[in-house]
Amino acid sequence: MNQTLSIAGVTPERTLVPADRVELAAIVRDLYAAGRTFAFVGGGTELELGNQPRAIDTAVRTTALDRVIDYSPEDQTITVEAGMRVAALDDVLAQHDQLLPIDVGDRNNATIGGAIATNAFGARRHRYGSIKDLIVGIEFVRPDGVIAHGGGKVVKNVAGFDLPKLMVGSLGTLGGIASATFRVFPKPAATRAVLARTSPASGFFDACMDDRSLEPIAVAHHLAQGGIMLTFAGLAASVEQQLAHLATLASTHAVTIDALDSGALERFTAAESEIRCSGAWRWTVSTNPVGARASLASPVATTAEIGYPTFGVTLVSAADDVSIEALAAERGPAIVFRAMPRRARARIDAWGEPPASFPLMRALKFNFDPKGLCNPGRFVGGL
Amino acid sequence: MPTLAVDPLHDRFAAIVGARNAVSTASELRTYECDGLLGFRIRPRIVVLPATTEEVAACVRLAAEHGLPIVPRGAGTGLSGGSLPVEGGIVIGTSRMTRVLDIDLPNRRMRVQPGVINLDISKHLAPHGFYYAPDPSSQSVCTIGGNVAENSGGAHCLKYGFTVNHAVAARVVLSDGSVVDIGASEGEADAHGYDLMGVFVGSEGLLGIVTEVVVRILRKPEATRTIFGTFPSTDEAGAAVSAIISSGILPAAIEMCDQLAIEAIVAATGVDWPLDVGAALLMDVDGVSVEVEHTAEAAITLMRAAGAIEIRAPRDDAERLLMWKGRKAAFAAMGRISPNYHVQDGVIPRKDISAVLREIAQLGRDAGLRIANVFHAGDGNLHPLVLYDQRIPGEEATAEAVAGDILRVCLKYGGSVTGEHGVGRDKACYLGEQFSDDDLDTMKLVRSAFDPRSIFNPDKVFPTPRLCGDRPGVYVPHPTELTGEAGRG
Repeated sequence: MNQTLSIAGVTPERTLVPADRVELAAIVRDLYAAGRTFAFVGGGTELELGNQPRAIDTAVRTTALDRVIDYSPEDQTITVEAGMRVAALDDVLAQHDQLLPIDVGDRNNATIGGAIATNAFGARRHRYGSIKDLIVGIEFVRPDGVIAHGGGKVVKNVAGFDLPKLMVGSLGTLGGIASATFRVFPKPAATRAVLARTSPASGFFDACMDDRSLEPIAVAHHLAQGGIMLTFAGLAASVEQQLAHLATLASTHAVTIDALDSGALERFTAAESEIRCSGAWRWTVSTNPVGARASLASPVATTAEIGYPTFGVTLVSAADDVSIEALAAERGPAIVFRAMPRRARARIDAWGEPPASFPLMRALKFNFDPKGLCNPGRFVGGL
Repeated sequence: MPTLAVDPLHDRFAAIVGARNAVSTASELRTYECDGLLGFRIRPRIVVLPATTEEVAACVRLAAEHGLPIVPRGAGTGLSGGSLPVEGGIVIGTSRMTRVLDIDLPNRRMRVQPGVINLDISKHLAPHGFYYAPDPSSQSVCTIGGNVAENSGGAHCLKYGFTVNHAVAARVVLSDGSVVDIGASEGEADAHGYDLMGVFVGSEGLLGIVTEVVVRILRKPEATRTIFGTFPSTDEAGAAVSAIISSGILPAAIEMCDQLAIEAIVAATGVDWPLDVGAALLMDVDGVSVEVEHTAEAAITLMRAAGAIEIRAPRDDAERLLMWKGRKAAFAAMGRISPNYHVQDGVIPRKDISAVLREIAQLGRDAGLRIANVFHAGDGNLHPLVLYDQRIPGEEATAEAVAGDILRVCLKYGGSVTGEHGVGRDKACYLGEQFSDDDLDTMKLVRSAFDPRSIFNPDKVFPTPRLCGDRPGVYVPHPTELTGEAGRG
């Protein structure tokens, strides 16, 4: 089966779609033995992320690996194949009033494996943490075709090295994710969101974050909507009390609070998805709370979302190439370009300077992929 | 200070760390022969206690130059023999590195040296209304460096996660003596590139030695409510835990003690718990006060429905602290009811607690040994304590065999051989039952990227024929446990 894909500027000669995990391993083993370059592709929603690979002969799509392997609602763990769409997983969990709080730009298309490989996160990281905090086990196919496991199916486990954590955010350069196990959560009885018409630099925002009577599950700054969205979830009485407390706090700071009904919430979600999926230039700033506020002052940003203190800022710009390249030149390591026009790829490294620990990363990559065939050149420092 | 050391290398290490911090006399080395797993003892060649990153690096370089294996050591409270020395090797202890380097409240971060004691982090933060969440039972004596090596857990990890979820960055000395920063750098939320910190935490001293650790700090919750409930047997208590977890309530901690454990805890601490019950649950619920009240009421309802005999709250803060002290000192308390015991650390799915406890009890009956249970029920992290008397011929070996069979029961239910104590030396021979050779080979690829010559902590974690021919260790309480300064599990 052939589909036209472009992976950060490279079009693979062919696309293979393994039917199951055994076939996935067999395909990878054969490619490796034949010395052919390859990359793993899930839903294809983040194909612009990273640098242009040196070469990719074959794209290995995981989308047919879409089964639930094991779901234990009473134990709040689920094991699914990597090609399952995030929205499909949402549906499975919803049947038991549970959820996996992973935020991606395009839930209908993004796969679980892709979310892990790209370390996707959003505003709910404030309460639930990132994928690193949710994943408890992994099965992956090494570049040489060997199937490896790390972690397990229980929520607490320190046996062996923590391979699941290593795979999070590794962008398929250490192997292809076949399946993963997550800790899942009950759907809160009540969820309510409000929009506070202020900025993260305001005294009100500080007061919210320091107030022990408020425990929002998600905090996001929406430049386009002109405010900060605070989401509260839990028992209805608790949510109501927190909203009342927030209203009092807002009035003392002369900040306007708008309650968001379900229609407004849907519009916000759609807007957030749009921000993450569109625009010729997109980048994420992974920063600390203080830095998250500073980044918003960026002159080239036209829209943004943040979680606080969840550290993510996705900026989408309509500004000209010149000012973005100036930003890229000045940036620290915390800025990663998730998309850029092809014309800019030769001039801008999507990841910036590799960190001081890069020699360790290079050694890891070499140990896993001595021939350098697996997604070569797309990751940090040309890994 | 003049030394009687005959080891020619002593002076060279002493030149790095100072004479009093380089230990090589037999009597002084005895302290370092083992960690909390007292059944294994090996005398190291030299123990060094550096004070700075540079000293650690210089010691590693000197050891590497002479081909000496290196065993890193924190407070030595580990329960799996992770700090067990290697014959002819050196031990690098970080217990003198006790400085707090930075408290960054706006960014909710704290940078400390590895010898800082876990509980002291929270003590430093208390005036600001913050704390550090992972709370191993040994938290009053164990150090953050050891916590990073072991990915330490604790009772309140149910809600807040383990060391790996809270230690975000570290300065590390590698096997060639180079110094590198891993994890999220200052101003970053996530590591740039591979998550080296994610795989370093819990690597049990096989990848390097931490000399600085950056941890996330949390705002103290508005309210905390403690609930104590008793049950006719572990069946009802286990059912209550399963019901609470599956209902979607997320307490901060749910701990279970069975009848034997209650008996030991009451004898050791004087806490006012009834002795004529089969099991008890100790639970903390925390968060926003209204949520806490409702959550506690919902949990109490589920406990009653599961067959609770009595449910009560501590009368005051003093009783609350006593209850938790009792729980955290439970292992030490076993001395009240048995001369010896062997502790396990297996994990099972939380829905299977009652069934697994029945199987464990049967293993005990078949072997003619008593087994006490005191554990992190909310996480499914069991701590069965196989009680025995070393003086009775054959009983120790029987206890070891039962302890091994318990781990196999955990694996049969899809669990793990260790939830928080680590593999170390103690469980290396069981790791091959949990993971395939390919899985273990993959982990070794990680190891060799960090430490190509396996200088750090050889003979730990990974099963080898030589290792697995040895007899498993026997648990003997740590001196600090016997004095009640620290507990376990």
